[in-house]
Amino acid sequence: MNTGGPEVRISNISPEDDIIEFSISGVDLSIANSIRRTMIAEVPTMAIDLVEFENNTSVLTDEFIAHRLGMIPLLSTEVSSIDYTRDCNCNQYCTKCSVQLHLSVSAKDANKIVTSADLISSHDSIVPASNNVTIVKLRKGQEVKLRCVAKKGVAKEHAKWSPVAGVAFEYDPHNKLRHTNYWYEKDIKKEWPESKYAKEELEPGLTDAYDCKAKPETFYLTSEGTGAMEPRDVVVTALSTLLAKLGLASVLLKNIASATEGNEDNHNSGW
Amino acid sequence: MTQFNTLENVARSINPSNTETHFPKLASLSQPHIQSFNNIFDSKSNLLNESLSLIKKNKYLVNSDGTSIHCKVNLLFSFLITCAVWFEKIFIGKPIIEGVKSAKVVPLYPSECRERGISYKSKLSAKFCWKVNDGPIQVEQKALGYVPILVKSTKCNLEGKSPSELIKHREDPEEFGGYFIVNGIERLIRLLIVPRRNHVIGIIRSSFANRGPTFTPFGTQIRCVRKDESSQTNALNYCRDGSIFFRFSYRKQEFLIPVVLILRALTNLSTDIDIFESLTAGSNLKNSYLTDRIELLLRNSSGVLGLPTTRKSALEYLGSKFHVLLDSKQDLTQEEVGEELLKEVVLVHLNNNRDKFELLMSLYALSAGECAEDNPDSPQHQEILLGGHLYSNYMKEKFNDILDSFKTQIKIDQRKTPAIVNFQDKKYILKTLGKINTDIGRKMEYFLATGNLVSNTGLDLQQTSGYTVVAEKLNFYRYLSHFRSVHRGSFFAELKTTTVRKLLPESWGFLCPVHTPDGSPCGLLNHLSHNCKIITTPLDCSKLAGLISSFPGVSSILTKPKFDENDVDAILSIQLDGKIVGWCNDTTGIKIAQQLRSWKVENGKGVPLDLEIGLVLPTNAGQYPGLFLFSSLSRMMRPVKYLLTSSTDSVGTFEQVYMNIACMKEDIVPGITTHQDFAPTDILSVVANLTPFSDFNQSPRNMYQCQMGKQSMGTPAINLPHRTDNKLYRLQTGQTPVVRPKLHDTYGMDGYPNGMNAVIAVISYTGYDMEDASIINKGSHDRGYGYGTIYKSEFINLAEKRIKGEPITKFFGLISSGSGLSKEKLEKYKEHLDTDGLPHIGVKMSNGDPLYAIVDDVTGKVEIKKYKSMEESYVEEIRLIGNDQGNEPLQKIHIKFRIRRPPVVGDKFSSRHGQKGVISQKWPIIDMPFCESGIVPDIIINPHAFPSRMTIGMIIESLAGKAGALHGVAQDSTPFTFNEDNPASEHFGEQLKAAGYNYHGNEPMYSGITGKEFKADIYIGVVYYQRLRHMVSDKYQVRTTGPVHNLTQQPIKGRKRAGGIRFGEMERDSLLAHGVSFCLQDRLMNCSDYSQAHCCIKCGTILSLVTQKKNSTLTEKNLISCLICGEGKDVDVIAIPFVFRYLCTELTAMNVKLKLEF
Repeated sequence: MNTGGPEVRISNISPEDDIIEFSISGVDLSIANSIRRTMIAEVPTMAIDLVEFENNTSVLTDEFIAHRLGMIPLLSTEVSSIDYTRDCNCNQYCTKCSVQLHLSVSAKDANKIVTSADLISSHDSIVPASNNVTIVKLRKGQEVKLRCVAKKGVAKEHAKWSPVAGVAFEYDPHNKLRHTNYWYEKDIKKEWPESKYAKEELEPGLTDAYDCKAKPETFYLTSEGTGAMEPRDVVVTALSTLLAKLGLASVLLKNIASATEGNEDNHNSGW
Repeated sequence: MTQFNTLENVARSINPSNTETHFPKLASLSQPHIQSFNNIFDSKSNLLNESLSLIKKNKYLVNSDGTSIHCKVNLLFSFLITCAVWFEKIFIGKPIIEGVKSAKVVPLYPSECRERGISYKSKLSAKFCWKVNDGPIQVEQKALGYVPILVKSTKCNLEGKSPSELIKHREDPEEFGGYFIVNGIERLIRLLIVPRRNHVIGIIRSSFANRGPTFTPFGTQIRCVRKDESSQTNALNYCRDGSIFFRFSYRKQEFLIPVVLILRALTNLSTDIDIFESLTAGSNLKNSYLTDRIELLLRNSSGVLGLPTTRKSALEYLGSKFHVLLDSKQDLTQEEVGEELLKEVVLVHLNNNRDKFELLMSLYALSAGECAEDNPDSPQHQEILLGGHLYSNYMKEKFNDILDSFKTQIKIDQRKTPAIVNFQDKKYILKTLGKINTDIGRKMEYFLATGNLVSNTGLDLQQTSGYTVVAEKLNFYRYLSHFRSVHRGSFFAELKTTTVRKLLPESWGFLCPVHTPDGSPCGLLNHLSHNCKIITTPLDCSKLAGLISSFPGVSSILTKPKFDENDVDAILSIQLDGKIVGWCNDTTGIKIAQQLRSWKVENGKGVPLDLEIGLVLPTNAGQYPGLFLFSSLSRMMRPVKYLLTSSTDSVGTFEQVYMNIACMKEDIVPGITTHQDFAPTDILSVVANLTPFSDFNQSPRNMYQCQMGKQSMGTPAINLPHRTDNKLYRLQTGQTPVVRPKLHDTYGMDGYPNGMNAVIAVISYTGYDMEDASIINKGSHDRGYGYGTIYKSEFINLAEKRIKGEPITKFFGLISSGSGLSKEKLEKYKEHLDTDGLPHIGVKMSNGDPLYAIVDDVTGKVEIKKYKSMEESYVEEIRLIGNDQGNEPLQKIHIKFRIRRPPVVGDKFSSRHGQKGVISQKWPIIDMPFCESGIVPDIIINPHAFPSRMTIGMIIESLAGKAGALHGVAQDSTPFTFNEDNPASEHFGEQLKAAGYNYHGNEPMYSGITGKEFKADIYIGVVYYQRLRHMVSDKYQVRTTGPVHNLTQQPIKGRKRAGGIRFGEMERDSLLAHGVSFCLQDRLMNCSDYSQAHCCIKCGTILSLVTQKKNSTLTEKNLISCLICGEGKDVDVIAIPFVFRYLCTELTAMNVKLKLEF
């Protein structure tokens, strides 16, 4: 049993596939789940948020193209250098809190596919993560000309800011804790596949006693990114975001505690 | 094995075929509509010219220099001048743009009609011919207006165009036509069910007995169809005293004639004994039932009673009675008029009288005999009234009307100004022709635009309206269903009995048992099974009669075999399309039927495949026996496998009842079964076939899906930029289903996606999924799940407001000089409008924004028209519409608005299994339950949706969809492919297992909020979801304050006018029962028409109070006094509902005084 605090084991990092596979042990379930949630929803990235159309004669409507543009992952390694627009002193948006991208394609001679490669960013590193995301197909003679404003944000607000496509999360591959019941018709072994992480933990013997007080220990997470961030960075940023939030919470809690200590009588009588 | 065929689909859309359609099955859906329309003009059937030849003989005019018209016709015959008029050689061209000053003819295409909001029609003309006495035929070419043309018919400019050409003409590549375009709207003539033609059915109906004394409930009926597809129904009524009445209706009037009169008039049999023998030939004379009755029949009408006894006198008698009704020419003898009556109304499908006589005998035998009644609601005795044939008949009547009104016009002239009537004068004839309304085109257009049949004859049909419907392009399922729907007739909709709505086994393979709406049109509005065809090309049966009589054992028409007591076989009549072609006994009948069938399947001896061979063998009180052959048009037929040769046979509704057709292989009984269905799904309609695994579902769920599939937001058309429909729903993120039946590809449904694949978890998670509500993943929503768009259209025509003939003074435009607009206002308008007065493309419109501007040429003032809708939209397209020649100033425009409709809480979604529900929450992605692989469902539905509804098909679809998504394959979901020996769950379970998933489709899931694994594993998979068009944005109604009714001061009703929802009597009752009187007063008084009124406490009235202006400057208050009491000291202010004041005044008007007591 692990007693020396949390332990993280990274089994696989593959930046090409935007995948990181790791396990955490020695933490509570709530912490592990918080990491998952933070990775999905609270890691700030850049995404196109405003689109100004100058011309759009394509078959897709303005709002549809704008939506598609928003979904394109932008490289957000330098997202920390950008402010949230809401925290910025500027009127609408400025270079401190936004990055502008331009798109101007016209199919003069033949049909053309407009891709993310056609997005010209005003920033050196905040550019589309991939160059082959199709935005719209243009027929000969059609044109799209627009200006995009990318902003910093989190996926809590809109899924386009999520750095990950999905986060796999699992614990207790042998169901030792009996949190769940595997329903089966005839043979549990035949009907249920073995977990990927089954080998990581010992399979309980038939005679082993059920420990009703046992708690989940090791959590296996895999995150598949969108390309906006290095898979490692997603986890690291998530952890620091979580830490910052917990820090804030603990400070606030301390404040409340010190406030209530002084006014204990008052507090009691009040209720 | 089904496949996505993505590359083929892409290749097809980039390089559409320039030879033939990609999906012949899809193109064949409108075939009955198009082919029946083509029949009007085709050289083979040429219905319209056939019609004209039928009406021409009747229209003779008589003129005797203006004087002798009232004299006896016979006496003056030699002095009369007769003039015959008729129409000949109808000509209809292809639609062209008229009035173009160029040598080249400019064809008019349907897309132009839709975009301009005009009708797709072409010029109709015919030769008006007349002949005076025996002089030469004179001819005048007469233009008869413009008649609407069916899209993709032979008269249409799109006929036979390939997908690539269709695209050039701004149509869908798979456009299948079959509709008319009237004022820019696509309308089609509904398929209607009518009684099977030329076949006698026996009816027992208690209402027959109420027709008069001695009438019994027994009768027979036959709907006879002439060569030009017009029909006349004849009926016989049997009476207790042995007499029989021949019943028919003519020009919407009903007539009854003793049948003996008709019998005598039809043939030359001179004596009663001859008629008796002729009628009883071939029957058992010892059976006195028949002989007694015939004897009675003849005795009752013998010469003693003064009734005609010879053929001549019978004809004369009939002629004398029907002379006026038939409006026959005046120089005919009464005998000739009698002949005419027989020709016009008695068994009109037969040509010579002798044939008619034979058939009357069988009618008679049926009426008196002991066979079972036939069910007129069974498809066995039904056929389809096709749009083209109705169109042709209606046009025929309009031609007839022209000739009638021509005659009437001449009669008016003869009466008023006899001097000018001169048939020899061509000018007079043409002048008279010019006076009457000959615009057939207008009338045809009215018929198609409204569906109202304005007719003198009624065309032998039971309804006068509802013949046409709009082919709504709500989505593609709905659109194509219009062309496959068959209506029973609006007469039956009012019927209290439900027998007509029943699903009968006879309709197997012809009408879909699943695809009928629930509610009032249930069972009356059916849809053709997807392989059911309607015969629309005339069959060549010229050799058939000879072929039959050459069989050994068949006696000719004239020599009905004598009844032989020792012979057990009964004598059958052999009828071809209602005409007796021979007699045989039943063993010969079986042989003939078998032989004909093998010939027809092999197409040997000129027996056509679509011939129907109905052998009804004699049974004890069964259907009236005979060998009935049908070769006529409009019959429903379906392909089945002929087991003997494994080739395709075509089976009709009549014969199917007497055939042994197996459905599945295991149903085949050796020695008995002759045919087998090609597939069990043949019984289903196109839309019903597209429900995956429908054989797993409880049957009503499949019916619901047929309804919901037709109301889902999908892809209505591909040529959206060229459509001007009032409202179009479009799903922006449509997908091809992972799980789909084979027919999905056969019908090219990938071109018209109708929903999207969604990951569905069946779990009761938050409580927001109770009562069929479902939770949608906010992440999916953010990523565009179910995003829809509505296109709304508006035509603006400045010419409509102008009085015809006046000069054009109003134009679109926004000018600054002299417009009376301030500079600021102009600037503000310019945000939305351009100088041409029209909005910018892509501009956002909210309520009150300027929509367009008009300049008045005379005053120079600018008028701004505002956008009235409450909903925000974007201007998608503006069309400038001119006239045909393009030489008129712009007066008509078309604006298309685009309304965004992302899914919101309250919008309706459904799976393809009749499982509908509304979105109750957009749930944050991190709080959603998730799988170990990190998959988060798009939609959560409650497990309680399943037990009572038993939609196992949806559970299987989820399983199949999951396996398909994991392996990247399309899954075949054709119904009836799995069974107990080969269960679907096993098939897809193995696939899931191979992908490393649980065999049953379950997965352990974790709470998104706590991260804890759920106690139960969750059923999760991929299901194709449809977004239905019912959206809260179209339905919500809310009001704080708003417009009130100006008479009662109460809030007005109606969502559109920002009105309130009625707090009605039952609502009031419930508040009373709760005892919440303050709430009640709030609803009924304070929030409604609260008002204050002065009241005289003394006399208790609120109406007698007058205000007197006080002259004194000391007080500002006016004095209010009561007129009755004459003083103002008892006046007080009270609160009353305003409507109470109205009541008081109304009562006062009736001299009732209403007094309040305090």
